Amino acid sequence: MSVNKDEILRNEVNESSEVAEAGAEAAKKTLGFGFWLCAVWLFVISMFALLAPVLPLKDPGENFVQYEEQENPLTKKLEEQPTIPPYSPSSEHWFGTDQDARDIFSRTIYGARISLAVGGLTTLFGLLIGGSLGMLAGFLKGWIDKLVSGLFLLSLSFPGLVLTILIITILDRSLLTISLTFGILSIAPIGRLARAQTLTFSEREFVTAATTLGAKRSRILLRELFPNVLIPMITLAMVVVAISIVGEGTLAFLGLSVQGSSTWGKLILLGADISTLQTSPWVSFIPMSFLFLTVAAFNFMSDRLQDVFDTRSIYVTHD
Amino acid sequence: MSPMTKTDSAILEVENYKVGFRTERGLAKAVNGVSFSLEKGKTIAIVGESGSGKTVLNRGLMGLLTDSNTIEEGSAKFMGEEIAGLSRQRFWGTNIAMIFQDPMSSLNPVMKVGKQVAEPLVLHQGLTKKESKKEVINLFKLVGIPDPEKRFSEYPHQLSGGMRQRVMISIALAIKPDLLIADEPTTALDVTVQKYILDLLQELQDERKMSVILITHDLGVARGRADEILVMYGGKVMEHAPSEKIFTEMSHPYTEALTAAIPRLKDPKHTRLIPIPGSPPDLVHPPVGCKFAPRCVYAQENCINEEPAVTVKGRHSYSCFYPVGTEKNKDAYQKNAAQGHTAAGLKISRRRVLK
Amino acid sequence: MVTFGSMSFLGDPLFNILGPIAGDTESPESLKIIEAAKAEYHLDKSVPEQWGRWAWDFVRGDFGVQFSTTGQPPVSDLIKERLPRTLELMFIAQLFALGLAIPWAVTSAARANSRIDKGLTMTSFAAISLPSFATAVLLYYVFSVKLDWLPDTYNAIDPFWGFSHDHRLIQLILPALTLGIGAAAQYARLLRTDMITTLREDFILMAKSKGVPRKRVLYIHALRSSLFSLITLLAINVGFMIGGSIVVESFFRIPGIGLAIIEAVLRDDFPVVLAIVMLVSCGFMVLNYLADILYSVLDPRIRNTEQGQQKKVTIL
Repeated sequence: MSVNKDEILRNEVNESSEVAEAGAEAAKKTLGFGFWLCAVWLFVISMFALLAPVLPLKDPGENFVQYEEQENPLTKKLEEQPTIPPYSPSSEHWFGTDQDARDIFSRTIYGARISLAVGGLTTLFGLLIGGSLGMLAGFLKGWIDKLVSGLFLLSLSFPGLVLTILIITILDRSLLTISLTFGILSIAPIGRLARAQTLTFSEREFVTAATTLGAKRSRILLRELFPNVLIPMITLAMVVVAISIVGEGTLAFLGLSVQGSSTWGKLILLGADISTLQTSPWVSFIPMSFLFLTVAAFNFMSDRLQDVFDTRSIYVTHD
Repeated sequence: MSPMTKTDSAILEVENYKVGFRTERGLAKAVNGVSFSLEKGKTIAIVGESGSGKTVLNRGLMGLLTDSNTIEEGSAKFMGEEIAGLSRQRFWGTNIAMIFQDPMSSLNPVMKVGKQVAEPLVLHQGLTKKESKKEVINLFKLVGIPDPEKRFSEYPHQLSGGMRQRVMISIALAIKPDLLIADEPTTALDVTVQKYILDLLQELQDERKMSVILITHDLGVARGRADEILVMYGGKVMEHAPSEKIFTEMSHPYTEALTAAIPRLKDPKHTRLIPIPGSPPDLVHPPVGCKFAPRCVYAQENCINEEPAVTVKGRHSYSCFYPVGTEKNKDAYQKNAAQGHTAAGLKISRRRVLK
Repeated sequence: MVTFGSMSFLGDPLFNILGPIAGDTESPESLKIIEAAKAEYHLDKSVPEQWGRWAWDFVRGDFGVQFSTTGQPPVSDLIKERLPRTLELMFIAQLFALGLAIPWAVTSAARANSRIDKGLTMTSFAAISLPSFATAVLLYYVFSVKLDWLPDTYNAIDPFWGFSHDHRLIQLILPALTLGIGAAAQYARLLRTDMITTLREDFILMAKSKGVPRKRVLYIHALRSSLFSLITLLAINVGFMIGGSIVVESFFRIPGIGLAIIEAVLRDDFPVVLAIVMLVSCGFMVLNYLADILYSVLDPRIRNTEQGQQKKVTIL
């Protein structure tokens, strides 16, 4: 018998060392340089957007018409004549100006305010409602779970953009309506993830242990389950931010975003006519780069987080 | 190195062959200096636990380990031609065929089995679709697949395990190889089917004068079917001998441990099988001395510190300081039994002392 | 139903349908229109009956009348005229997407973690992060403005098949490429992952050892058994492409269903918006359902259908 016991013991030792090795290997997976680069970019752009009114930026609405000494064909004298915008990048206007001689850099920063606000509000809303609904469904199970999961599925069976267009037609095109619509649409994916995670973790030993020790259900939910659901939710939330920024941009590009605003989508469209693209592509390309870098940063960070925390198996995403 | 006298009829000659994998922890030496030679029409069995390197050895020899993290060293001559480290693609489907352990995962799940058998016929023997179908049906009959016309257009999941393995064998036969590598051909099958498949293989081998490398973890399977047996452990050859000699003049403790772990039909009903304690060695940081020392009941200080040299006795060779059946071995065992553990710290049970 | 419900709850539906005319109960002409509208949308009936009747009409293909300008053809005619153009665009886009994604993913998976693979993975990442409207502007800039290879004007009355700028086939390249690139990146990512898993399987080793040439191993043995989740995604994506086609159609001025909904929104033509939303939603649901069935029907192994659903989580 003792041979068998030894064998078991040895196997256990072996296994635990394997587990330790696996843990060490997981720890070796770091977020990497790219992750922090993205984080810095997002921080900088958010700060610029937040503090735009205080920063020494040019007025995004002002027309900085430039003049040049030219010969007046009538009087044959040298005169100060306005030149035709858009003006190319200069020390005065880092990223040039648009067709109305407005500073593109400052317009892009001001455009970021609404784009990022929509992204942030949407995600906040989705996380609060979707996260709590999903966790409750996964924790309480039973008919509540069935009802909530059914609603999630129903919401996923509508094409988002088309539904958004319908809602903003019925209601209005305000920042709040658009964010709320996106937020409602993001409830289902976030909720499904939260539910799946809660279901998985509520069957783990530490939760069972807490239950047998007589911990309150609310305590289990908050102390034991919530921290484990949080990380996958954050990785998904970053993708939701990216998708809502793209969504808002799409609406703006279609002329359906917040009325009277110039967000990134609108700025891109304004520079996308053939004559402007031919002579001064930067009018469209500058806001496009900002949009791309921001969306890519969110996507990339989410990707890295999924890799490091190995939550990829839970969901595969992307718009 | 090799105890076998080399002859011109050797189809495969392997000399100090090594396969390593670069891993995050370092180089894993999966096959660490193996030598043997296989004659035309003969069978060699390579026996060992999972992780002993027997599968890697054969996949390496076949040139199927093309990953950039794989390192191949040493010499291997197939039909007199050096192949180690070179592309062996031209032999695939023409001179060498393989049978894999699990017929379910080795057959393409979304391709009709008939088509899978026909593939080498069409690709390498220039048969037309129609001719190949006829040939496949012949092969199906040969390996004993009932209702071959119907089976031709079925998918692997529609067949039973035994039928799938027969399909695999018919693929190997379609190739008409000089060398057949059968990697645990019967492990996934029922005992009754096992025997049938092994007999079938042997019959076909005699008929077609194929050489066979039979890879198995079961010494019992190798017995009587192989001309020679090579026992591998931790990427190294522990013992190498003509088939019957392994059983009559068993020298290596690992071979002994393997036989003790196999159920035998003639054993009394409640015979306790003795499992080999521990698990195969870490290939990245293998033991310094004998690879088997940490799990060997005879292990002494020098087994842990030095690697035993190969002892050659005619066609029989082994690497051990305390070969089974010698006085040295008995002394070593008594010493370990007396102190209750081996030099490597393995506990010795009372039951074994009373043997 | 949901959409119609919200319509009747949000103030006077007549006002939504007719605009200012609804308030004008003085002139006999407006009254006539109001009566017509009430009859058309069953507004003189109780609310549940309104829902039922509208849904019944919808199912029979009667989507009501465009109201913003009198004398317009019924909505169903508008859709009949425009839907084929959108479908044509989406079909070509899917062809582009597959044509790009398959060799892309196979090359990547065959040399997983090599430089080529990493480069292609980065590219697909970039393509996924670039919104379709930005892709549209970028492609337009490169191929139409700078290189002047491809036309940027679409003319619905031009013939389809032909290779000059006066053929729809050529006119649709840029719009379809815009729609296709994003989809291709998604397909490639999914297919690459599946292919890498497949390539590790024993039957690939078996195929190699049978002497099947490398290309055939990749494209016949490995690809075929990796395609199932891609086909599912493809079906689901047809639904998502409708969203994308709104952007593309409005940028390249293709009078399809996407441009129709934008035009309708901009002139507050509620019946048209509603009809298109309902139509697209129904199509979307049917496609999702078909994708689920397709997955289990196509794969002889009958894999877990759950897997197919989980492959895609998105809100737009």
